[in-house]
Amino acid sequence: MNKAKLLLLTVILSGLIALLLPSFSVPAASARLRVHFVHTAAGKPLLQDSLYLNPFNETYSVSKLKYYVSNWHPGNKGSCFLINAFSDPVISLDIPPGQYESISFLLGVDSVHNSSGAQTGALDPLNDMFWTWNTGYVMFKLEGVSAASKSDLNRIEQHTGGYRSPFATMRQVNIVFPAGEKMEAGKTYDLNIEMNLDKYWKGANEIRIAEHPVITKPGNLAVMVADNFPGMFSFKSFLSH
Amino acid sequence: MNYRIPILILAFIGTGLILISAGKEDGLGAFASTPLKWEIPKGFPKPPTNIFAKNKLTEEGFQLGRKLFYEGKLSKDGETSCGSCHQQFAAFSTFDHDLSHGVNNSFSTRNAPALFNLAWMREYHWDGGINHIEVQPLSPMLAANEMGETLDSVLFKLKKDTAYRRMFKAAFGDPAITSQRMLKALAQFTGSLVSANSKYDKVKRGEASFNAPEEKGYALYKANCAACHMEPLFTDYSYRNNGLALNRFTDIGRQQISGLAGDSLKFKVPSLRNVQLSYPYMHDGRIFSLPQVLDHYRLKINRDQPTLDPILQKPIVLSDREKNELLYFLYTLTDTSFTKNPRFAAPAPITIKH
Ligand code: HEC
Ligand code: HEC
Repeated sequence: MNKAKLLLLTVILSGLIALLLPSFSVPAASARLRVHFVHTAAGKPLLQDSLYLNPFNETYSVSKLKYYVSNWHPGNKGSCFLINAFSDPVISLDIPPGQYESISFLLGVDSVHNSSGAQTGALDPLNDMFWTWNTGYVMFKLEGVSAASKSDLNRIEQHTGGYRSPFATMRQVNIVFPAGEKMEAGKTYDLNIEMNLDKYWKGANEIRIAEHPVITKPGNLAVMVADNFPGMFSFKSFLSH
Repeated sequence: MNYRIPILILAFIGTGLILISAGKEDGLGAFASTPLKWEIPKGFPKPPTNIFAKNKLTEEGFQLGRKLFYEGKLSKDGETSCGSCHQQFAAFSTFDHDLSHGVNNSFSTRNAPALFNLAWMREYHWDGGINHIEVQPLSPMLAANEMGETLDSVLFKLKKDTAYRRMFKAAFGDPAITSQRMLKALAQFTGSLVSANSKYDKVKRGEASFNAPEEKGYALYKANCAACHMEPLFTDYSYRNNGLALNRFTDIGRQQISGLAGDSLKFKVPSLRNVQLSYPYMHDGRIFSLPQVLDHYRLKINRDQPTLDPILQKPIVLSDREKNELLYFLYTLTDTSFTKNPRFAAPAPITIKH
């Protein structure tokens, strides 16, 4: 087992050197921010498979609602999370201490991560958010049922994606803190962001279920949906502990 | 936050111990990655990106990729491996089939291209819909008319197999079987398929010479074909319309990916290397022989299509004799040292100890 011992020693030593160096030069100090996504529709909390009315008086229910939020600012460039509205939609960020007027993220996956080959974690193709025939991530996936839908079994199947110009669908979202917020090193904060589905149907563009029950490829329609993304998210509350 | 450092030290010692015990006790052998050097053949350009920059090419990774390439478990019926549609003796195209057999008596809607020199390709498939060699296998694996599987199910089957846990460990350091590792290993195999030893290459290297008809054929190729099928890869990997009629699947090619009407009926220019072996031809295998391909270019180009490549607006004039000379030249692009290379063949079944 001489080889293994040598390996152990190298691992420990290189690990220590790698870890100690930065911790001496930069004091490990950031604030922990937990971001909760609170999903609503027609003024009520969004529940799976429950009925809601959209702004066009179309009844619908949602069985699946998943989307990517990435490249958080400040301090989290390159970060990427998959939000599942019906399964603990909370993420944790390490934020450099400071006074902030807003926080921002990219709704979707940036073009680098759309074209860098096989990925893991949130971007693992196992998460069923990946198009195999036209490489790229589905940025936002909504599936459900609506009497207004003329597709098979009244399904809604809206998979919005596409990263190439002119059909790119990732959008910058800015969450403004009405009173500004201070975040200190070593402390934990909770930010609640409301995601309002009404604005998904009716924002910069109108997406009627009767007209567009199915969206499954990049193109003009996906871009129309994407243009509604920034308006869907807003500040709800901020708590410090 | 001073307790961070001691915790990290402990964590590292712990990890080290786990590593050692893993090496001893999981019975899956050791992490023994042997770096492989990937060389650009003489006269070939530098690939547009280094596909192995973030996927270190090793003998163990390559061998794992090779086993996966010939693995029926990647498909629903247990038989439709990558290698069942991409056959080595046909330069990894489907021998003698316009379309390929998928699971459940289904057929692909396109002709299986020959696979070689993929490291120079920027985008994969006839329409270039796939932007990276590592994610390409997901397309056939998950397509109902090809391998018909789900990723969960494939990983489940691989995880149950001791031979795979052993090989994933040898290639990646621990036996975890993930989609990323599987895809990276496959890319190590497919990216290593280099064909650069045809008679043409030997002539270029000064090791052989063309006979008279081949030499004339070479000149005809340069005059009529090289603009798209560019040396030395014999393609420029652009998307073009070479005047074929819309097929029964209404396959509009590149437009499906780009969404641009100007890309209608454009397909990626295929390489002419090994073209003698990769019949039938074109994106749907509609042309069964090379003489017929040349007749297409001489006589049958659809000149009323608005996206027809401007180069082909001008007729290609070839006499029957010239047609034969051009054929002789195309035959010099056949690389049997590639199609017979035992490293690329299906691996012999591996016997598992214990
Ligand atoms: C059912 C037959 C079939 C199976 C199985 C299959 N392929 Fe293919 N392969 C094809 C066809 C057909 C195409 C062309 C697809 C297109 O252009 O849309 C193709 C295209 C490719 C390409 C792109 C080549 C180019 O010139 O752009 C690569 C690489 C490839 N296959 C590798 C694989 C790998 C790796 C596997 C196993 C995971 C596999 N194939 C399984 C039929 C198959
Ligand atoms: C304007 C560009 C262009 C020119 C010039 C051109 N080709 Fe092509 N060639 C293509 C394209 C594009 C395809 C693929 C078409 C498809 O499948 O839809 C192709 C396909 C082929 C194929 C089929 C290969 C395969 O694996 O299926 C052969 C063989 C071929 N060309 C030979 C030639 C020869 C020989 C010449 C010269 C006489 C020539 N080409 C000139 C663009 C061109």
